[in-house]
Amino acid sequence: MSASPAFAPITEINLRLRNGDLSAIELVNLYTDRIERFGEISKAFISLDTKSALSKAEIIDESFKDDLPLNGIPYACKDLFDVKGLPTTAGSQVLQDNVAQQDAAAIKCMNQAGAICIGKNNLHEFAYGATGENTLYGTVPNPYDQSRLAGGSSSGSAAAVGFGLCAAALGTDTGGSVRAPAALCGLVGFKPTYGRISTEGVIPYSWTLDHVGTLTRSVADVGLLFDSLALESQPPVQKGLDNLTIGIPESFFFNRCDSEILDSIDALMNFLRQAGANLKPVSMPSMEYTRTVSLTVQMPEALSYHNRYLEQRGHLYSQDFRAGLALGQCLLAEQYIRAKRFIETYRNDMGKVFAEVDVLLTPATPVIAPKIGVVEVTVDGYSEPAGNAITRYTSFFNMTGHPAITLPCGLHGEGLPIGAQLVGRHFGDEQLIDIAEQIESCYDFELPLPNLD
Amino acid sequence: MKKLDKQTLMGIRDQFGSYAWDDAEISELVDPQLGIITGFQELLDQLEVLRKIDLEAMPPAGDIITK
Repeated sequence: MSASPAFAPITEINLRLRNGDLSAIELVNLYTDRIERFGEISKAFISLDTKSALSKAEIIDESFKDDLPLNGIPYACKDLFDVKGLPTTAGSQVLQDNVAQQDAAAIKCMNQAGAICIGKNNLHEFAYGATGENTLYGTVPNPYDQSRLAGGSSSGSAAAVGFGLCAAALGTDTGGSVRAPAALCGLVGFKPTYGRISTEGVIPYSWTLDHVGTLTRSVADVGLLFDSLALESQPPVQKGLDNLTIGIPESFFFNRCDSEILDSIDALMNFLRQAGANLKPVSMPSMEYTRTVSLTVQMPEALSYHNRYLEQRGHLYSQDFRAGLALGQCLLAEQYIRAKRFIETYRNDMGKVFAEVDVLLTPATPVIAPKIGVVEVTVDGYSEPAGNAITRYTSFFNMTGHPAITLPCGLHGEGLPIGAQLVGRHFGDEQLIDIAEQIESCYDFELPLPNLD
Repeated sequence: MKKLDKQTLMGIRDQFGSYAWDDAEISELVDPQLGIITGFQELLDQLEVLRKIDLEAMPPAGDIITK
């Protein structure tokens, strides 16, 4: 067991709560003390709900219900989720006065499971960007190296769990905004099959690509959260590692990638082979225009939502988001529809891939967390914007809607975490989590905790 | 395809019922100087390549259906 519950997985905290070794109030106090200590450094929170969290913890302790899977577990959510009575700012001046009248559907699910929301997390304004930079609330640093980015757009959610300020966090993932920051911060990031967790009550960025996801310390914790959040749960098709066929993409997903990240994925692949898994090279759809296709869908959808605020509050948006919205204005309807048709071809092609394999394995990101303020990163002589690099291996699966999970699998020479990504079949979320959990428990790798003192 | 010019985008803004983007923002789309948006022309060029690919009767992506 971990010495401090601040960095313990939920499965371990649950045991302590149930055997009386720890109370919900002690747990909330532990995290709020840490938020007092690390809140400003981490820039993880936009608002806190300490008073309400303590009241809820008191009620939970008075009559602890063992049957609630997340009873007494403090968590945080990206400040796109409505939490009744708290502001939902989306990290923007535009929504400074936007107080939620009711809970988002995912928050209701967390409440029903007994979890305690302790606050709302910083993010890239309106989830527009993967670097997590925010001029209003500050750029969120990485717990492993505070001169580097946590990554985004669920930057504060990753930092909140990474700095040990809550047990888990909810985020949103439109191109990798849960999985990428989780990987960069040494956490487990999960996005389900499109639509399996409700986005009701969450400020949208791009309706047809947005997924609600989770950031946790372990894969087992993902299982607990997903059971509580999924609109319908189903038992996993259980398969041991020795009975798995794992697809390894032949192109794109291993290109222009940091060599130490490739070494870590190689080591993981060797372990899987030794465990009896069949690693099968697979041909993926052409990725040449996938970013173009994704952008062509994202920006008109974002503009369509933000039209409601532009007339009155347009001057309050940050310059970069306004520029993105302006781009959305200048794309043609046929270009948007064509992009959606390309997405359908990607889904069909991936259906053929998943007829042959149980899951896909790729690196989570081609780079480790970039330095704060870096505009471009260069790998193998090729430069690209930092945000594009961070989500290069994740964004495709927002278009296809497949469930995907990132988990730590190595430590880079620079002291930064390295993550692997597993992608499952549509509605194979439970099986994907089960496979990732087997890897987590059998693979001989444990990421050291960040040194925060 | 001709290179995008500012007048085209100003026409969209002024004649298509668009939000009133600043002239500077429109200039930035056409001729990026600030590094906020890069490659709108490149995006249009890539979309032009995609336009020429015959997708036959492929419909747009919709919801994902349980099979």
